[in-house]
Amino acid sequence: MTDMTSPMPHARTDAPDAEGREERRLGFWLTLPAQLLVLFIALFPILMQIYISLTDWSPLDGIPWYRAYELWIGLLNYADLAGDPRFWSALWRTGLVMAICVPVQVLLGLGLAILFVDDFRGKRVLYSTILVPMMVVPAVAGYMFFMLFQSGGPINDLLSMISGQRVTIAWLSDPDLALFAVIVSDIWQWTPLMFLILLAGMVSVPQDQQMAAVLLGASWGRRFRTIVLPRMKTIIIIAVAIRVIENFKVFDNFYIMTGGGPGVATETISIYIYKVTQQELIWGYVAAIALAILIVLSVVSMLAIRKMRKA
Amino acid sequence: MASISFRNVTKRFGDVTAVDDVSFDIRDNAFFCLFGPPLSGKSTILKLILGLEKPDAGEILIDGRPVTGIGPAQRNVAMVFQNLALFPHMSALDNIRFPLVERRVAPDKIAARVAEVCEKLHIGHILHKPPAQLSGGERQRVAIARALVRDPVAYLMDDPISALDARLREQTRVELRRIQQEMGKTLVYVTHDQEEAMSVADGMAVFQAGRICQTGTPEDIYRHPNSTYVAGMLGAPAMNVVPMALAASLQVQGPQGADSLGVRPENLRVAPGEGARITEVEPLGGFTTISVDLAGQSLRATLRGQPRFTTGQPVALSVDAGRAHFFDTSGAALAAH
Amino acid sequence: MTEIVMENLGKDFGDFTALAGMNLTIGDGEFVALLGPSGCGKSTTMNMIAGMLDPSHGEIRFDGRPMNGVPMARRGVGFVFQNYAIFTHMSVRENLAYGLRAQGVGRSEITRRVAEIAELLQLTPMLDRRAAGLSVNILQRLAIGRSAVVEPAIFLLDEPLSNVDAAFRAVMRSELKSLQRQFRQTMVYVTHDQLEAMTMADRIAVMDHGRLLQVGTPLEVYNHPADTFVARFIGAPGMNLLSGQVVSSDSGTQVDLGAAGRSGPVMAAQGGDVLFGFRPEEVQPDPAGPLAMQVSMVERIGARTILHLVTQGHEAKAVLDSETPTPGQGEVFRFSIPAASVRLFDAKTERAL
Repeated sequence: MTDMTSPMPHARTDAPDAEGREERRLGFWLTLPAQLLVLFIALFPILMQIYISLTDWSPLDGIPWYRAYELWIGLLNYADLAGDPRFWSALWRTGLVMAICVPVQVLLGLGLAILFVDDFRGKRVLYSTILVPMMVVPAVAGYMFFMLFQSGGPINDLLSMISGQRVTIAWLSDPDLALFAVIVSDIWQWTPLMFLILLAGMVSVPQDQQMAAVLLGASWGRRFRTIVLPRMKTIIIIAVAIRVIENFKVFDNFYIMTGGGPGVATETISIYIYKVTQQELIWGYVAAIALAILIVLSVVSMLAIRKMRKA
Repeated sequence: MASISFRNVTKRFGDVTAVDDVSFDIRDNAFFCLFGPPLSGKSTILKLILGLEKPDAGEILIDGRPVTGIGPAQRNVAMVFQNLALFPHMSALDNIRFPLVERRVAPDKIAARVAEVCEKLHIGHILHKPPAQLSGGERQRVAIARALVRDPVAYLMDDPISALDARLREQTRVELRRIQQEMGKTLVYVTHDQEEAMSVADGMAVFQAGRICQTGTPEDIYRHPNSTYVAGMLGAPAMNVVPMALAASLQVQGPQGADSLGVRPENLRVAPGEGARITEVEPLGGFTTISVDLAGQSLRATLRGQPRFTTGQPVALSVDAGRAHFFDTSGAALAAH
Repeated sequence: MTEIVMENLGKDFGDFTALAGMNLTIGDGEFVALLGPSGCGKSTTMNMIAGMLDPSHGEIRFDGRPMNGVPMARRGVGFVFQNYAIFTHMSVRENLAYGLRAQGVGRSEITRRVAEIAELLQLTPMLDRRAAGLSVNILQRLAIGRSAVVEPAIFLLDEPLSNVDAAFRAVMRSELKSLQRQFRQTMVYVTHDQLEAMTMADRIAVMDHGRLLQVGTPLEVYNHPADTFVARFIGAPGMNLLSGQVVSSDSGTQVDLGAAGRSGPVMAAQGGDVLFGFRPEEVQPDPAGPLAMQVSMVERIGARTILHLVTQGHEAKAVLDSETPTPGQGEVFRFSIPAASVRLFDAKTERAL
């Protein structure tokens, strides 16, 4: 709305006085049990991870987890991790997927938002249609794209029709094409969310400021660059942060489409962890990987939040 | 029915003294106005009366009894908020009933009480409508009805009509005064609009930075402001205040110790002659505001009707007999000469 | 500096007629206020002048050039929005330079013109401050400066004072007026506040329900309202209108006001039912006066005292200066109206007679 402050006097009541401090102290003690519980629920899994990651514990050893200290190996898991090429390649691949998916999703979302910010015929129907992928369960989306990219699937059929000759590209068994296919499925599924968030941001850019810019002779491009984008900065950072974090965790559709293969061609960090957990059962090592990722993600989120504060 | 008194009340928020050693008395059934610029302590006074804030020093009495330690719910003082705070999803009737329903009053008593209040406020015909379908004035009355329905000893209003447009404000303030006279309850009213304050109140306190500068009837304060600050707060255009050196050109003699001379625009006489020059003529229909330049000082005069003066015309100025105000170097008023 | 001509200008939104056949010429360098209550069509008119809305029929010409179909960016119109629409994420300087940059003006030229306008509007000390958090009067100056710097031929102002504190409005009014004098541009000012229109405009166009009711200088509109709407709308309080009948007797033509009495002699060209109009300021307290009403409330507002008067079927107000002794609430007030101050309106058409 307006940037003007209302003439409403006195917004100082939040300043504490002696009375208020006393009340606040009472409040602290009353909520302490609940706070401790929440803290415990939030922290326990992480603390357990840290503990397990310093051992060579595996569920097959027959030792309960709390006695894992009997298999104490210190930072050896982390040392192994640093030298594990499969971990680094999974991490690098996750980064690659992110580097392609996030910008494409944000740009597509932004483009769609620009189209949808004005009214046109059939907007509502189209709007609902665009949001459908977001509501599809990722595993189901994975299955859909698994079907689409079969060598005898609809995509090859379409290409055959266009080119006029029979196309039988083995999408999911070629390392590069498989990566391409899973990236397409991710973009298909998550562009709508970007669109939704960015549209909300775009609609909230004050209409009269845009009108003022028009009256001052600003072209569409200048208006977009100088009024719309700067005012959407925060929301774009939020959108990117959400996708970066989500992308790190990408699993369902990748696993269903390729199982991380062929070989390790589409093995992201989540798939890698899944395989190590379920197939190799060296849980101390898994805990170390999980913690390493947690640290990476925390750093990314912190950077995003700092950026947002500045904006 | 309640009188409200403040005895040397001080309220601090951190380093800021919002209310500074304030004393005043509001008699029973008064329409009392707290008047001053934003952040001068008016709204804090309301919170202190309501019991939402506790004074750091001093005492507040309602009906002669100290209310220290008595919570907001037990004080039975009602409040009408600036934004009215009506519940948009409820009809006017449900809004008005709300305080009684919440207190689990018997349904037949609620009905009787609502009918009584609505009759006095003339809102019986709009009770079925939600707030969105009511006009600004009607919403106002519904909010007042909701405040009055629980039969409070006093009710407070924080700048309730500033959001309305000029014409509606004029009507609503007359309406408020009529309602207060008919309801016969102590009403404490906060505003920063001088015309509104003078129009509605039968008693007022002028605030500056947490302190009271002057209390009295609006008429009394307007006629005898005790400082240049109060003089400037009431009246539009504001009182002209010029150095005593110009008194002779205005044909006025001041008392000993006078440093500046104050003349209300309506007491400044303008006639063809010499000494000053007209810089602007603003005809408003029933009145004309004239700006004149007197030795580099700009003065404003309000004249009745549509006198024929033109910009640039030389004029002579004088002041209505006994209507000059004198202030000392600190800005405090001196007895008239 | 442009003359604006509106010819049979109209705008419909579906079945709703926002503006019906407006004819108005705004002279070069003139300050015209479009005055009326909300929904009267004043903002629609302004938006059509700016090019934000296309007229349903009729024409707008700037200096003879038809504007229908000309996009708003090319009309050379400066627009000051109700809430100023300042780009709060930019500095004051960037706001001022925005229009010049958009039009591709050279860098040194931009620097020069921004410095010039900032100096004129006393914005120089805060050029590098962020526009967010500036006070209202600075925002107003900035909004005007941002439009003025591109030297538009026409300035449109959409209720720029409606978000401003009552106490501060007088200051803003006089500031705005002196700015208009400095720029000498054609100005169209939309407002619902008759005081703003009276104090600032060269001419006032009073509108209601999509119609232009009267155009004239503030005093013309005040002294000779064309109909009862204008009579009530202009002035604070507005004109009193009491229904009565013109009667002729030995003592000349008078208006019979029923319970309120019978007016002094009036000039009336027609008989029958009329509305007897007089300004509250023209009421003369007169113990022997022909009119009498009961005082229902006394409002003392500093220099003025407003008497609220009632009698069966009639309501009126009288404005006296505070020096005049006034009757108390509930007492009967006798008064007279100078013949020259009486305005008669046809009871049916509500037009001035």
